[in-house]
Amino acid sequence: MNDGPLIVQSDKTLLLEVEHERAADCRRAIAPFAELERAPEHVHTYRVTPLALWNARAAGHDAEQVVDALIQFSRYPVPHALLVDVADTMGRYGRLRLEKHPSYGLVMVSVDRAVLEEVLRSRKIKPMLGDRVAEDTVVVHPSERGSLKQALLKIGWPAEDLAGYVDGEAHTIDLAEDGWSLRPYQKDAAEAFWQGGSGVVVLPCGAGKTTVGAAAMAHARATTLILVTNTVSVHQWKQELLKRTSLTEDEIGEYSGSRKEIRPVTIATYQIMTSRRKGVYGHLELFDARDWGLVIYDEVHLLPAPIFRMTADLQARRRLGLTATLVREDGREGDVFSLIGPKRYDAPWKEMENQGWIAPADCVEVRVTLTDSERLAYATSEPEERYRFCATTDTKTRVVERLVETHRDEQILVIGQYIDQLDELGERLDAPVIKGETKIKERERLFQLFRTGEISCLVVSKVANFSIDLPEASVAIQVSGSFGSRQEEAQRLGRVLRPKASGKTARFYSVVARDTLDQDFAAHRQRFLAEQGYAYRITDADDL
Amino acid sequence: MTGAEPATGTSAETRRARRGTTRDVDSYGDWLRGRTDEELAALVRARPELITPVPADLGALAARAATPPAVSRALDGLDRAALAVLESVIVLPSPTITALKKALGPRVAESVDNLLALGLVWPGTRRSYQVAPGIRAALREPAGLGPPARDAFAVLPLDRLVVLAEDLGLSTAFANASGLAEAVAARLADPADLVADAGPEARTALERLAWGPPSGRIENARRPVTLATAASPIDRLLARGLLVATDDRTVTLPREVGLYLRGGVLFRENVLTEPSAAGPERPQGLTDQIASGQVFTALRLMEELLEGWGLEPPSVLRSGGLAVRDLRAAAARLDVAEQDVALLAEVAYAAGLLARDVGWTPTRSYDLWLLRGAAERWADLANAWLDTDRVPGLAGGKDDRDKTINALADESVRAHAPRVRREVLEALPDEVAASEESLMERLTWRRPRRTGGLYSRMASWTLREAAFLGLTGFGAKASYTGPFLRGEDVTGGLGALLPAPVDHVLLQADLTAVAPGPLVPELARELALAADVESTGGATVYRFTPASVRRAMDAGRTISELLDLLTRHSATPVPQPLAYLVEDVGRKHGRLRVGTALSYVRCDDPAVLDEILADRRASALRLYRLAPTVLASRLSRQDLLESLRSVGFSPVPESAEGGLVVTRTDAHRAETPARPPIDHEQVVDADIAAAAVRALRAGEEAAAVGAPDGDPPRTPSMATIERLRSAIGSRVWIGYLDQQGQATSRIVEPVRVDGGYLTAYDRTKASVQRFTLHRITGVRDV
Repeated sequence: MNDGPLIVQSDKTLLLEVEHERAADCRRAIAPFAELERAPEHVHTYRVTPLALWNARAAGHDAEQVVDALIQFSRYPVPHALLVDVADTMGRYGRLRLEKHPSYGLVMVSVDRAVLEEVLRSRKIKPMLGDRVAEDTVVVHPSERGSLKQALLKIGWPAEDLAGYVDGEAHTIDLAEDGWSLRPYQKDAAEAFWQGGSGVVVLPCGAGKTTVGAAAMAHARATTLILVTNTVSVHQWKQELLKRTSLTEDEIGEYSGSRKEIRPVTIATYQIMTSRRKGVYGHLELFDARDWGLVIYDEVHLLPAPIFRMTADLQARRRLGLTATLVREDGREGDVFSLIGPKRYDAPWKEMENQGWIAPADCVEVRVTLTDSERLAYATSEPEERYRFCATTDTKTRVVERLVETHRDEQILVIGQYIDQLDELGERLDAPVIKGETKIKERERLFQLFRTGEISCLVVSKVANFSIDLPEASVAIQVSGSFGSRQEEAQRLGRVLRPKASGKTARFYSVVARDTLDQDFAAHRQRFLAEQGYAYRITDADDL
Repeated sequence: MTGAEPATGTSAETRRARRGTTRDVDSYGDWLRGRTDEELAALVRARPELITPVPADLGALAARAATPPAVSRALDGLDRAALAVLESVIVLPSPTITALKKALGPRVAESVDNLLALGLVWPGTRRSYQVAPGIRAALREPAGLGPPARDAFAVLPLDRLVVLAEDLGLSTAFANASGLAEAVAARLADPADLVADAGPEARTALERLAWGPPSGRIENARRPVTLATAASPIDRLLARGLLVATDDRTVTLPREVGLYLRGGVLFRENVLTEPSAAGPERPQGLTDQIASGQVFTALRLMEELLEGWGLEPPSVLRSGGLAVRDLRAAAARLDVAEQDVALLAEVAYAAGLLARDVGWTPTRSYDLWLLRGAAERWADLANAWLDTDRVPGLAGGKDDRDKTINALADESVRAHAPRVRREVLEALPDEVAASEESLMERLTWRRPRRTGGLYSRMASWTLREAAFLGLTGFGAKASYTGPFLRGEDVTGGLGALLPAPVDHVLLQADLTAVAPGPLVPELARELALAADVESTGGATVYRFTPASVRRAMDAGRTISELLDLLTRHSATPVPQPLAYLVEDVGRKHGRLRVGTALSYVRCDDPAVLDEILADRRASALRLYRLAPTVLASRLSRQDLLESLRSVGFSPVPESAEGGLVVTRTDAHRAETPARPPIDHEQVVDADIAAAAVRALRAGEEAAAVGAPDGDPPRTPSMATIERLRSAIGSRVWIGYLDQQGQATSRIVEPVRVDGGYLTAYDRTKASVQRFTLHRITGVRDV
């Protein structure tokens, strides 16, 4: 028996003991084929999924390396059945390949006749294929490239896409590294993406995903379409690109509800792309408006279903997905894999924090005891109103006031779900409120004031969940959220993770009403971050 | 024994064999008589069916050895080399050792010795060997060759033979069938010109039959053909005697022609060398790692399976098996294939861990088994698997009547299963992960007449099952597998490979606890109570949830006991969220108390009761306030408990005395039955073999003294006793009525006469026996 840091479980999870002296080597060895699932303080959990194994195959690792890594680092004997399963699963990738044929165009080629026969018999897949031009070659309708890959993944024969990409319309884009430079991991991430052709880069909030996007554009040196979550984020991407690259105002177009510019680099929102008029997607032509060389999907974990369908038709273009968490609440990680591409790069949050790229954070759950009358009211409220009631109680508001008072000298964000509650808080704290109906101009003005320190406290709704760059925010107070959403919690923490000029630790407060639904949801929300190693401290509101 | 010959045997060879049988058996018997006792003992050990029951003498043994069942069993046990030698002895005109070496290669001596020891060949005249009686009839197409021309043609109608002889330019002057067949055979001894004359198409047809099987099907095989009228290639061959019709639809290649086409070679490939079971090399250390990992997994799966069945025993089908539905459910629960569950169930049954009771239920032995060390537990399972005559692989398949065979049903019993398992495992090479094909090749070489059909499927299942149970790892044999097969104790060696139990866990802020190895039983039990198992394997991951902590409290644990347990077994401090969870649940736990009598809700905090009463969802509970801190209900306690819980409270049931009612489900257990009996194939050990040989020799002697002339002796009974007394120490012949009233005669050596019995050494039985005096009909000296 060897004294390795890794324990292999029968459900194909891998437990890595982080204090072990060989833990770092082990992490490097297993990272290519195992997804980091949880990273709490002592034992990190990785999961070996078929997707992860195919990711590894796509990145050029073979089954032997995987088995070697498992055996080399495993503390206990590794069950035979698991190793066989790993080898089998990896063997399934690449039996089918999508290639370019000089005379037939896009074809599917198989090295295994039996697999091809099985696939050809599938009723779902047959219509996407054309004639069988040779024993092992079938013509694929070019428009079905994405759907075919999606369908093949579903039946467990993921295709290796070697059909290549169109270069797109060339456009000179360079990084303008004046007074700043790409961080090593950003460089690695951009290169890993470029080598792989298409795929997803996973980085924590605040780690500079936009910069990775810019670096990818500098690799592609071609016209680029960028899809982001909302209009504020469009502006931020634009600002960032102007700052980080050789691009000028005129080269960057904004495609949103108010402006419809199509330029060599165009930034559009998911919302405009998915808006329909009389049941028809009115802005689909944007995808064909130029010969895009690169498509970037920001916050890929939020990618709406219609965009998936549109993306299926974009398989010949390079695609880059950016996200902080590949956890999708709808479980469509498989679609991200087959349509955007495999995960090309990821880094655990805590590691980034240790290297100083993101600010260290102290997460505190503040437990508030409701008054007797509030509890009675809570018990009598309608089921659909119960969460709202306990999340917005008056007792909570008073606790928030005390917290804001405690951090008077810092830049504070108060984040919540319910507009009434936010308005009330804004009044009580004498702070401006940013919500859905706030005009874009007004929002940006307030954010700017906040950045410069003229306002020290902002009350924001979920419009500020994503992609709002507020580097100096060091305290976030969460009063309510969309039920048990794990990724929302992570995104909100991300608002305060930009490294501070002072090097200070960020604070993240989650104010929770004790013994209510609020507490149950909070436990669920915290799971992702707890699994990333952010141990929540629990404090009683009375002890503040 | 001639009656047992196949009824279709019409060839002259068979008839000759039949005619010659008696004579052959006699001279074969003589040869047997000349063998030493050791040689005879070895023979009966290798062929136990020859002494079941022990025949009267060696003549009878020789006759039994020639019966088709005995021959067939003996042939089944031969490897390719021995079989090839045997076939060569049949085919070669003068099979001396030199001739055999020339035909097969220098290494035939070993196989010849083996065949001699088995009594399948014996030395005949002029240093050539001959096959034992019965073999020729069993090997109808030796080396894939047809019958000798003489035999094949002798059965043709005379007119056909005459035409053939004339076409071959032979004299038909003395036209009897055997004479003509003899002449045709002589002509065919060198058929080169005839083959050339028949033309290239005909030669192609012949080549197809050359390496066997030597016969082909055609319509109207017995058509009249002459050289002059022959049109098709087949007709040309029939007309020249290069093919001969053996029935209406079959033509056969005569042996001489076949040998000519083969250039005199009997076997195309080198049949003397065992094929090497080839595959990638595997270092033993790696194999052991993987195999022992699987050992650990198999033990865990067995435990999970039986624990589950202990709580909810699956029902026993009327046919005795396990329902497919239950098999599927178990497979889903354990996350393994259905055939793996079938294997686990069969092994558990064979090991006496699972029995038929109210349903399929773990036995008390299972509880004892759990207490043993991992390596011992594995040895129990592996031994049970190796020895069981049940074939788990058959489960899920169809029987002869196209009915699905259920796991644990009796249809899956196959007496030769243990032997097949051993043969397969013994064929595994060292430090090589042999491919299944190459292993099958090797097995086919070792037992050419057995493989195929069920044998191959069983071999394939054996490999799969051996991998599942951890006897092999990645296709190669584990270091403990060899000793295990030899019956040695492997628990020490295996134990060193398995993880040692640990007594601590790693507690984490995400409310999980990781046990970095198998836990000591006491801690494992407590943790299983207070937390849910999230993943198992080398380690166990537990997750604490409000429900799991409540479960522990329901079972009587308190907040401080739980925290104390965690603190004691954790190297690091208990994380704050975990401590909060335990305290939160503990604080709420038991705050509400519910009674049985008329069902009530009690709470020290009137506000809580206010809350309940105010809750509109609670109106269905029909609660009313008894006192500021007590509510009562007309619901049954159980309904009330469940309803309150569904509304989100956390009440506990309370006994009449006001204490907590502790709930915990008990698991079912069945009584341990005797292990299911296994119908082993017969094994003859050295002692039995020696006794049998003694008995045979004695029988010979009895036959040789030739006493049984006339009727068994009859003497008046007083005289009988007297004669017996005086014969103590010498040998007499007695007449005896056995228990069925049959008159028999025995040669015995009286030891004493008393109490109405004669105690004597019976040479035919090779044992001391007691004879009832009044059944002794007479005594005579021999």
